[in-house]
Amino acid sequence: MDLLELWAIFGPGVAGAVFGAGWWIWLDAVVCSTVTVPFLHYLPGIFASLAALMFNCVRKEDIDYSPYDEGEWRLKLWLFIAYVVSFVSLAGSAGLLIQDSLDKSAPSVWTGVAGVLQCVFVLICGLVYWTSHPE
Amino acid sequence: MLSWQKKFAAYLELEMAELPGYFRYCLNTGKLVLLGILVSGGVVLQILACALYNNWWPMLTAITYVLLPMPLLFLVGSGRSSLFSESDSSWVNATKFLTGASAVGSIAIPAILKHSGVIGWGAFAMELSSFFVFVFAILCYIRINDEDDYSSL
Repeated sequence: MDLLELWAIFGPGVAGAVFGAGWWIWLDAVVCSTVTVPFLHYLPGIFASLAALMFNCVRKEDIDYSPYDEGEWRLKLWLFIAYVVSFVSLAGSAGLLIQDSLDKSAPSVWTGVAGVLQCVFVLICGLVYWTSHPE
Repeated sequence: MLSWQKKFAAYLELEMAELPGYFRYCLNTGKLVLLGILVSGGVVLQILACALYNNWWPMLTAITYVLLPMPLLFLVGSGRSSLFSESDSSWVNATKFLTGASAVGSIAIPAILKHSGVIGWGAFAMELSSFFVFVFAILCYIRINDEDDYSSL
């Protein structure tokens, strides 16, 4: 079998592993932090997970690329909102990292870095799951 | 090859072909006993990691151990080819996703507890040993299901 078939077989498992790794990094930073991490810092990871779930709820064959008929605009709106949520969560985690590095009483810089890494890993897991579906 | 070696090889082939059916049935029963020993060993290691130090935080890993055999519960009823083949069913892909996430979680939870100082090196080593024993048992189960049991009788 070729590489695409291997990717289709093991891709969902790899996506789950990347998802677990992302949340591992974040939970390790939170548990080992000397300062209590406020709930606001949890939100980028939660929204990144929601975004990864949102754009994997779509079946690929429903996406219509025809220039003649009107496409399924609800599907494209859903995908658009999913991408917006994913990029906003990534930007939010980067903003919280900058805030943590400037404020002394905030959690340490490693907590901010772990938040950014968590968002990156969770969104990569969404991409892995998406690309592992055969067309 | 010498002539006596040829005769000996032919004799061995005859002996293997004429192995009685009930003997292979006993071999299959032995494999099930091995599976039972492996799973029991994993459970014992898990409980030892908690009970020896009177610290039950590592029992969180039991949640991920329940999710780990998810593809087996749904797929191996139709044979090995379902697990190691691509599937258009979103349920199958979701179970594979859960297995990947719980496999990493089985390593992540003891690692986080060790890093935060809640458990020591002994409990951490027993947790990892329990995980690898469970994974080995699952691989043995896949291997056992791969064989055709109808040819043994």
